[in-house]
Amino acid sequence: MAAVKRLKRVAAAQPGFMSFKSSAGSDDLNSGQRKRVNKNKKKNWNKHSDIQDVEEFLDDVRLQERATGGLISEKPDDSLFFVDIGEQRKYVQPEVQEGKKGKKSKSRPLRIDLILQHDSLVPPPKDILAHQQPNAKKLRRIAENAEKLAAMGVLPRRQKRLLNRRPAVTASKSKTAANNFPDRPYYDLWGGDAKETADPYYLEQTGKKRVKRPEKLNSKPSVLPAVEVIAPGGSYNPDFFSHQALLLEAHEVEVKRERAELRIERQLAVNREDTATEETVFQELVEGLVEEEEDEDEEEEDVSIRGGLQQEKKTEKERRRERADKIKSQQKQAARVFTDKKQQLFQLRSIQATLKRGEQQTRERVAQRKANQEAEKSMPRRLGRLRFQAQDLEVQLSDEIPGSLRTLKPEGSVLKDRFKSMQKRNMIEPRERAKFKRRHKVKYVEKRAFREIT
Amino acid sequence: MGGLQKKKYERGSATNYITRNKARKKLQLSLADFRRLCILKGIYPHEPKHKKKVNKGSTAPRTFYLFKDIRFLLHEPIVRKFREYKVFVRKLRKAYGKAEWTGVERLRDNKPGYKLDHIIKERYPTFIDALRDIDDALSMCFLFSTFARTGKCHVQTITLCRRLTVEWMNYVVTSRSLRKVFLSIKGIYYQAEVLGQLITWLVPYQFAHDHPTDVDYRVMATFTEMYTTLFGFINFRLYQTLNLVYPPKLDSKAESELKAEHEEDYAMDSESYLEKLSALSASLARVVATAEEEENQLDLFPTEGEDQENMQAREKEQKEQEAQKRLFEGLKFFLNREVPRESLAFILRCFGAEVSWDKSLCIGGTYEVTDETITHQIVDRPDMDKQYINRYYIQPQWVFDSVNAQMRLPVEDYFLGTTLPPHLSPFVEEKDGDYVPPEKLKLMALQRGEKPVQEEEDEEEEDEEEEEEDDEEEDDVDDEELTEEKNLKKMEGTRAQGKTLAVKVTPGKVKPWETGSVGNKVRLEQEEKAEEKRLAIMMMKKKEKYLYDKIMFGKKRTTREVNVVAGPEMSSLCNNKKLINSRTTCVRGHYLFTWTLVPS
Repeated sequence: MAAVKRLKRVAAAQPGFMSFKSSAGSDDLNSGQRKRVNKNKKKNWNKHSDIQDVEEFLDDVRLQERATGGLISEKPDDSLFFVDIGEQRKYVQPEVQEGKKGKKSKSRPLRIDLILQHDSLVPPPKDILAHQQPNAKKLRRIAENAEKLAAMGVLPRRQKRLLNRRPAVTASKSKTAANNFPDRPYYDLWGGDAKETADPYYLEQTGKKRVKRPEKLNSKPSVLPAVEVIAPGGSYNPDFFSHQALLLEAHEVEVKRERAELRIERQLAVNREDTATEETVFQELVEGLVEEEEDEDEEEEDVSIRGGLQQEKKTEKERRRERADKIKSQQKQAARVFTDKKQQLFQLRSIQATLKRGEQQTRERVAQRKANQEAEKSMPRRLGRLRFQAQDLEVQLSDEIPGSLRTLKPEGSVLKDRFKSMQKRNMIEPRERAKFKRRHKVKYVEKRAFREIT
Repeated sequence: MGGLQKKKYERGSATNYITRNKARKKLQLSLADFRRLCILKGIYPHEPKHKKKVNKGSTAPRTFYLFKDIRFLLHEPIVRKFREYKVFVRKLRKAYGKAEWTGVERLRDNKPGYKLDHIIKERYPTFIDALRDIDDALSMCFLFSTFARTGKCHVQTITLCRRLTVEWMNYVVTSRSLRKVFLSIKGIYYQAEVLGQLITWLVPYQFAHDHPTDVDYRVMATFTEMYTTLFGFINFRLYQTLNLVYPPKLDSKAESELKAEHEEDYAMDSESYLEKLSALSASLARVVATAEEEENQLDLFPTEGEDQENMQAREKEQKEQEAQKRLFEGLKFFLNREVPRESLAFILRCFGAEVSWDKSLCIGGTYEVTDETITHQIVDRPDMDKQYINRYYIQPQWVFDSVNAQMRLPVEDYFLGTTLPPHLSPFVEEKDGDYVPPEKLKLMALQRGEKPVQEEEDEEEEDEEEEEEDDEEEDDVDDEELTEEKNLKKMEGTRAQGKTLAVKVTPGKVKPWETGSVGNKVRLEQEEKAEEKRLAIMMMKKKEKYLYDKIMFGKKRTTREVNVVAGPEMSSLCNNKKLINSRTTCVRGHYLFTWTLVPS
């Protein structure tokens, strides 16, 4: 007990010591009777000496070091106390530019981080495993073994597997640039042909070989040239006669169009006689009211005629005569044929002439058909619902012809010309623009707010 | 007998064709995608011979495709891409609808695309195949490159088309392969000869666009997509053949020259580079720097008889072509601001001239108006205030007509303020007996080397310089004629050797013009030819003679008719003949009068 007391006294005598639990154990200093113990044995020393207060003291010191970063007694007063001068006015920062603010906030650590910062004087416990390695011996032996194998040239299985693995395909992931990218690179497409080295059967079966393009597809659908040059009359400063020729052509097209229009008009015209007059209107009103007896009479007559048509039975004599007539006419016919045949001998020349004429005709027809077929090759075909319609001829009238290149006003559109040329060459079918069809009816509803106003 | 009854429409043409809708369903594509695929793959609809059979008894007009074609389409890898794209659009729309912006971004990054390279290779197995089919591509790209950026089509497409056409023009300039030009009311027609292929294309005038509404822009854009791919590959190959750098680069010398001037006016280097290229005023960089184009000469082989003739003819032809390529070499042009700069610069550069323009007009002008060495200034206005005395002020048509005539035409007809002679189409080839415009006859005479008859005395002083040039040309022509004559003589000799005719030879009379003056040579030759022809006619068999007479009669008749329709001069015609019939019709709101002339 005495040792404890002494220790306490020592601790209390330490300069500047301040206990956290200052009130504890101050009155039991003198309480209780002293226990008598043999002190000749070391065992008893440990058993009966009271070291609790020392331990408490040391705990307290550690606690202070851990929590506040040093003994409180050694700290200056400024860090422990502050002068209370009432409520502090908050310092209002003026509006700073956002960029600056961001920068500032980035440079300063967050408050929460500051709080969590490690500030105790006690160093963190050492990592024992930093210097030790579990299974060190085994690993070392494995490494040695591997080294030996490597020296012999044997690769471990894992490495072998790695080497055998197919390289990751990164090329396929690369983006293909659009076809209209202005700076797209070109290369020699028809350069040296890279020969296929792989087995053709393999390529065919795995779908890696392109299917050969049929020869027939390479023939053009029309024999017309891609760019048809305008007639010489279409020059910006044309020769008089060629200009007239072009004008005549345009004129003919126009005449044809006009004629078609007129025809439709004629067909649609109302016949004067078909219009209702007063008389016809009256007739219509009276229709059926006035009885006509003549019709009935006619009907009766019809009936009588029908009755009169009843056939009578032929007599035997009549039949005989008919038969004889028939045979006679047949004989006559046969004789006629016979004589005709005989006569043909004398008609040989004319027959030959007709034959020749016939042959000539067939020859002409064959030639015509061939010519038509030739012409058809350069004609636009019927490829769809609509027929090809040639664009208007580009013509400048005599008073529109410019005196110089500067005053030239171009005629027609090249875009349309190209488009029509493609249609004419059977590359695309003629179409008309799809019309917008509304599937559902549009419902108009006045908004309530709007209705309130009106 | 017996056997199964044959069903209708299960064999023959009914199974060879497939309707468009069925084809579309077979390929699982929308109509727009199907149409796109067909255009890209070059599969066109067919008109069957027996529609009723194909259409299963119905006569309704439908679009048919060959069944085999559609089956071929099934193997196309692009079909899958189209389907993928459809799914992509669906997903994107959904993401938009749900306002998932990160999702939209992710989808956008993984937008499926496709390439057309393999299709081009498949459709055009060799380079020449592709080159034969370039007319369409050229016209289309030139057309698209003139479009305004108004959203009718992608701006990217327009830029790409512009780039490709500029590359093409630069190629034509460097290879000097332009042959014909025709200014029509529609646009400008060009014809070039590239690697032995005649290529014609149409370029619209600048700023001449109204967008027609009855044209399917989507179809046109698809064609353009295919054509730009094709065109780019062709350009690459063409540049390779000329040993040029692709994509084209300006010559380092020219580049530095261009750089010195007003560089700061244009914003970005990358932007102005295409402009500089399109200015066409500088030459291009080559892969291997060569000092000059070496003359490629035909290999000479010892030949005999007809081969030799052919050879000589070929040689002559080549010589002519070479001369044509250098048509404007040594001339210095200046373009006024009112003339179409691009086409003129293109044409002039194609024939070796130097061109410049006002620096405010376009980038790439190399010299000023004040340059004393300018020989021709191209002007298209009634008159100029300030004129330099040592240059010609000519109208732009001179350039075009000279190119078509394959010679430098006399400049007097094209001077400032004069009424121009008509611009004739170089694409017309008159047959014997057709009507030939008098201007063309005059031009042909000029090409033969004859001098125009009505030269006025007063102008001679002014035209001294011009004449000097003309003299040079004439010398060339004379040389050519001499060679031609030699060839003819040789031909005769060989023919004479071939046939040994039992003809009595009588001594000819000496005619006064035969004494050997150079000017009469032509006439002599003509006489000889006529004589030869007469002899040939005499030697004909009766049957052939009859045929020949018939042909000649027909020819004469046509010429007579032509002469009736269009005599040498309109005025004389009108005097001799009566105007009896006039028709009046309406063309687009304008009245059109057609006169018919009938001999009185």
